[in-house]
Amino acid sequence: MSTTTYGWLVLAFPLLGTIAIGAGFKRLPGRSAGWIGTGTIFLAFLASLGALISLQGHAADHRQLTSSLWSYASTAGIDAQLSILVDPLSVFMILVVTGVSTAIHLYSVSYLDSDRGFVRFFAYLNFFVFSMLLLVLAGNFVLLIVGWAFVTLASYLLISFWYRRTTATAAGIKSFVINVVGDVGLVLGTFFIFKHTDTLDFLKTFSAAPHVFTSGEGDLTAGCILLLVGAFAKSAQIPLHTWLPDAMEGPTPVSALIHAATMVTAGVYLIARMHPLFELAPAAQDTGAVVGALTLLIAATIAVTQTDIKRVIAYSTMSQIGYMIMGVSVGAYAAGLFHLMTHAFFKALLFMAAGSIIGAMAGEQSLDRMKGFRRAMPFTFASFLIGGLALSGIPPFSGFFSKDEILLVTGELGGWHWALYVVGYIGAFLTAIYTFRMIFRAFFGDPVAEARELEAGHLHHAEQPTNPATGEVEDTDVGFPGPAHAIAERALPMRVAMGLLALGAVGAGLIQIPKVDFVIDDFLRPTFAGSALYEPHTRNGLLVFGLILGTLLGLSGIAIAWRVWVARPGIAPALRERFAGAYGLFVNKWYFDELIDALVVRPAAAVGRFASNTFERAFVEGTLVGGTTQIVRAASASVRGAQTGLLRYYAALLVLGVSGLGLYFLLQT
Amino acid sequence: MPALSILIWLPLACGLLGALAARRNERIPGIVALLGCTGALGLAIAYLIQYGPGSSGLKDVTDVVWISELGIHYKLGLSGLNVALVGLTALLFFAAILASNLRSWERPRLFYFHMMLAESAVLGAFLAQDLALFVAFFDLMLIPFYFLIGGWGTGPDRVKATIKLVIYTLVGSLLMLAAAIATGVLAGSQHGQHITFVLSALQGLPLSRGSQEWIFLFFAAAFLVKMPAFPLHGWMPDGYRAMPIEVLMVFSGVLSKVGAYGFLAIVLPLFPQASAHFQTLMLVIALLSILYGSAVAFTQTDARLIAGYSSVAQLGFITFGIFALDPQGAQGALLQMVNHGLVVAPIFFIIALLAARSGGSEDIRDMGGIALRAPVLAVAFLIVALATLAMPGSANFVGEFLILLGVFKAKLALAIIAFAGVVAASVYALRLFIRSMHNRVGSGVRSREMTLTDGAVLVPVLAVIVLLAFYPQGLLKRSEASVGASVSAAHIALTEPPQTLATAEEP
Repeated sequence: MSTTTYGWLVLAFPLLGTIAIGAGFKRLPGRSAGWIGTGTIFLAFLASLGALISLQGHAADHRQLTSSLWSYASTAGIDAQLSILVDPLSVFMILVVTGVSTAIHLYSVSYLDSDRGFVRFFAYLNFFVFSMLLLVLAGNFVLLIVGWAFVTLASYLLISFWYRRTTATAAGIKSFVINVVGDVGLVLGTFFIFKHTDTLDFLKTFSAAPHVFTSGEGDLTAGCILLLVGAFAKSAQIPLHTWLPDAMEGPTPVSALIHAATMVTAGVYLIARMHPLFELAPAAQDTGAVVGALTLLIAATIAVTQTDIKRVIAYSTMSQIGYMIMGVSVGAYAAGLFHLMTHAFFKALLFMAAGSIIGAMAGEQSLDRMKGFRRAMPFTFASFLIGGLALSGIPPFSGFFSKDEILLVTGELGGWHWALYVVGYIGAFLTAIYTFRMIFRAFFGDPVAEARELEAGHLHHAEQPTNPATGEVEDTDVGFPGPAHAIAERALPMRVAMGLLALGAVGAGLIQIPKVDFVIDDFLRPTFAGSALYEPHTRNGLLVFGLILGTLLGLSGIAIAWRVWVARPGIAPALRERFAGAYGLFVNKWYFDELIDALVVRPAAAVGRFASNTFERAFVEGTLVGGTTQIVRAASASVRGAQTGLLRYYAALLVLGVSGLGLYFLLQT
Repeated sequence: MPALSILIWLPLACGLLGALAARRNERIPGIVALLGCTGALGLAIAYLIQYGPGSSGLKDVTDVVWISELGIHYKLGLSGLNVALVGLTALLFFAAILASNLRSWERPRLFYFHMMLAESAVLGAFLAQDLALFVAFFDLMLIPFYFLIGGWGTGPDRVKATIKLVIYTLVGSLLMLAAAIATGVLAGSQHGQHITFVLSALQGLPLSRGSQEWIFLFFAAAFLVKMPAFPLHGWMPDGYRAMPIEVLMVFSGVLSKVGAYGFLAIVLPLFPQASAHFQTLMLVIALLSILYGSAVAFTQTDARLIAGYSSVAQLGFITFGIFALDPQGAQGALLQMVNHGLVVAPIFFIIALLAARSGGSEDIRDMGGIALRAPVLAVAFLIVALATLAMPGSANFVGEFLILLGVFKAKLALAIIAFAGVVAASVYALRLFIRSMHNRVGSGVRSREMTLTDGAVLVPVLAVIVLLAFYPQGLLKRSEASVGASVSAAHIALTEPPQTLATAEEP
């Protein structure tokens, strides 16, 4: 089979899975929907491996292959095909996506076991994987936008999966609309680029770009910055990030798959894919780098103060993606993508472990209520710890190597990039603090009632689940976790899935150790062949300094977390009081929600209300319509009444009008 | 292929037949009408196949002199501009008549007669290749709707609604009639030839710039009222509220397209310099329609009016694309006309189904939580809602993409502002979906799955939506040549410096 055939197969399996599960939603027996879903994604993973092997069989400078099924919209100068691009970058992405998805599907089979929306869940989840694969395999701008929007849709459906929760539907529409803003950026950016290149195909665009654009040209810079808007929306970068914490309304496997491992990395992929354009638009590159750096810092400060365990991980995701966006924006493509991969492993693992605790807590997500789960849930604890160490960048866990490589490349650029370098290490320090804050608060200390019951072999559950945000009693009809939350300690598929990801979180860093091996660098090189930035890094001094600094910061962050939340628990409130200003800013998430509300949502609603209530009523109906109605009423009082009267009147006016006009033109000519 | 006249008059014939034949059985008129619609749909599909990808020019022309003294011909022809719209008309009338058959009507013979007369008139308006004939069909198609609203409408305001509709469309029709007569008379006199109304002949007799401009405004007023566009949409809210849903399906799905089609098929080719001259004005009107329609749509709670105002916005996009005066924008506009018809008709039908599940109320505040007991209905609604908000992957997105790209090249700033309408569409479409299908169950809601007969109405339309989503190229290739020809004169008028035009037009 040719390489691109594998590419089409990768898309076909999840799509078929969606259709099969969707079509059989009333007939599929037992848990079969879950196994169909998991199986089709695993087949897609095998096809991705096939694509990898087949791609490596090509010579290094022939590893960018396109294949087109049919013309999608080719008219009037547009050349949109239904085409995919299989190259090292897309193969890298499909491997990560299908690999992590397989594990998360497997986890979900147990995690959603007692949910009444089980079948629907797997139809959505397979559709999501299809969309994400379409996004990364798209061979032109139109198909990229299609995949991009399908991902938005799948994310929306899964966030509002428990759709009778008003908080879930509100979070869903918020995420959808913000991502539509991103789509708009993407479409407009495409317009700016298409205006000069006259093609929508990626490879043709990239080969034309150096000829039609001069470096720093206005239209190209505008186009790239608009593409960044799309990337920021999808990757939850400031100020388009506010949907991500709310997206935690979705079931936990959704948070793991979509809002940690895959969808939110789309922006990173986009910048890497568009690197031939971005390298001609330095202003756009700088914008991406600065926004990434700001996001990684701001999100880390918020994560330190939040108490909802899933939201802490969500802000951590934002922060880590900030590193990736910064990396690919300064030209550290391989490093950024390497971090994308390791992050997918350890962050999905963290979410899964958190899901297990939430299961044990019967849906409760507040860290304030968790304590001492270490002995009750040893497997979950070990998984969380591995994920946490990888996230905090402690050697030899995977996050250590990937994060440091991004910062190394940033530092090597010199100049003002040093500021980014410093911000990156401050972020790393904060990362260790908030990660181990979670671990120490959830797993250490005196066990709470739920943990003690679990130790005694009994899983605690509330009689009637309520929504912690609104206090509403949950509508368990549509499928809500209900009385039997699953925990990893008791479900084999969950343990297998978490075990696989834990392996990745521990070992994935070893494939690219500075000075030792360069698997990712070498594999991705054909995609970035034309890039001047894609060079081996040489400054040994900075490399060693960075590795040591990263380790020390990580360890000291853990130490501080230990001191504040384990050794001397009284410190936390004291610190909160002492730094009340900063704490208020962080705990209120830097007031971004309030800001967007005041600047966008409320004005738009006000305009809508004005148009509906005032303008429409007073002007259109009152003046325009009312006026004309009255005139005609007065004139037609004699003929009005019966329908025939209307018609006669109409005919009379027609005749009158015709003769009048005929007369006018006769006189004129 | 049989003559186009058969396609046009078959529905009316069936309407007449049903009205005359059925003295005793009240169901016969509906069934005969359905047969007529099915026949018309079959013919329309055959014409779509015949006018295949890459076709150009007029096909299946029927040309008979009608009134020789005035140069009026009964000329019909199939072109890339109308072939898809004819298909849309036949499909939506089929769906609407099928839906009408699901319930019983007072005076069914008259009801179906009017519906069939409307279908004949709309098909005639799309297929007419003579300006006077177009005007005749255009006016003819409004008459049955006056009766349908007045006679079978709902709500206390239906008389007021009928009067409003009559006044608005009457003013528009009279302006158009005047403009059409002027076009024929002036074209003949300015070139010293005999009077004619045949479109192809008129294209060879360009009017002087001054005449073009005022005639353009008359036509524009008529078409903008019909669409409707801001601020000429005053008849729409009452009219939509009063119409029976089955009538509204075709009224909103098809009639609004005649206005947009008129711009593309008549105004642009016959008045290219005026089109170029008024480009900015028309784009601004379109933009205001987009923004205003969207803003009102996301604050309404009456589901019908949400769909109604969203149509104002969508038709704004269509006008926007046409007045990009560029093949990309116009191609997008034509595709979007079909797309909008395909989504708005099922939306109204679904609103009727929703109302039947929420105690008869069409207010979204009385709905909620319907999806659980009606998953298939929810999926159908979701597909339609996503197509409405021009979700990438739907043909609606391709249409909007082409429209905005066309305007982007012509007037950058206007295109960028119009993107606000894209975002707003996602708000009002999803709001309608969530408030009816999701959230807590409304107090009066008794949800149930839609029936097979409901499915029979929805499935053909949904199937076409999905088909077009995978292969919008199928329509784009059919219309490419005709749209290019239709836009080219205006496109040239736009790009050529006005001095050369001034010398060219005074012979």
